[in-house]
Amino acid sequence: MERRTFRAMGTEIELIGDGGFDLAESEFHRLESIMTRFRDDSELSRLNRDGELDASPDLVRVVELALDARERTGGRFDPTVHDALVAAGYDRTFAELTDGRLRDGRPGGGDVDVSGERIVLGRGVRLDLGGIGKGYAAERAAELLALAGPCLVNAGGDIAVRGGAWRVGVEDATLELSSGGLATSGRDRRRWFRGGREQHHLIDPRTGRPAETELLRVTVVADDAVEAEVQAKNVFLGGPTDGCAYVLAVAA
Amino acid sequence: MTSHVGRLYAVALVLVVFFLAWALIAARPWASAAPDPRLKLLAVRAQHLQREAKLVNALLVARRTQAPAPAVRVVNLPPITITRTS
Repeated sequence: MERRTFRAMGTEIELIGDGGFDLAESEFHRLESIMTRFRDDSELSRLNRDGELDASPDLVRVVELALDARERTGGRFDPTVHDALVAAGYDRTFAELTDGRLRDGRPGGGDVDVSGERIVLGRGVRLDLGGIGKGYAAERAAELLALAGPCLVNAGGDIAVRGGAWRVGVEDATLELSSGGLATSGRDRRRWFRGGREQHHLIDPRTGRPAETELLRVTVVADDAVEAEVQAKNVFLGGPTDGCAYVLAVAA
Repeated sequence: MTSHVGRLYAVALVLVVFFLAWALIAARPWASAAPDPRLKLLAVRAQHLQREAKLVNALLVARRTQAPAPAVRVVNLPPITITRTS
């Protein structure tokens, strides 16, 4: 069993498995070049700039997954909060963030149409795939590593596993995960100051501002890393009442 | 007269043999033909595509296999990795 770490998608990526590391690492960099909003030449940037694009299968798939998640979470997960994130100050890579003036964010719910390989955004709508892209990339990389044997991919906290039994630390506890994915969302990291107030990266699509909730962070285990990432945000934004009610309803 | 014609035939024969030898040597039959670099690139590309096709087939087979439901339990052992807010 070998381990490799490298940086991609603004975070540290960890691969553990028996082989296929070069392929998996290349896959992360390839997907980042498609989905990042911090490079002008990425597919996502071109889509946000032009409002429509004949996209690659990966971008189409991630946008479809994000729209499906928006539907299933009643809008608590929403990829159209790009402008709200930028208004809150998350307008460059996290390492480059500085204090500045706070602007009002645009709420989510923007129109996005996917037809075949064509993606069309409503007027003024821009996408941010930061809430789903790492989970998707972790799954794709895990698929490649799994060809050589049991594996784990950790994309800055979004975890995908295939085979084996993997011990994952969640604060003081250790969970043993044998399949599926695990992700954590919260306001304890990726924080910055803007307009003299602390901001964080989890935008409430209803208000267009960083979510105000009594929860600090939420960790979810699901069928895959994408679903875990979506539901971690869903539960976090739902708060201790609606979020936990959702978990209980799903578990019932 | 006869010896004159004979000399002419001999000179003509020498010339023919000379040019034949020249053409034969110029063709360099002992040297293997240099491969077209484009053919070499195509061969590399074909190998690359064959490897990718095998990979894609393996991924498709893996995707068709039903993944088990996520199984998780709390253990009292040190973690090998950690999750944190992503």
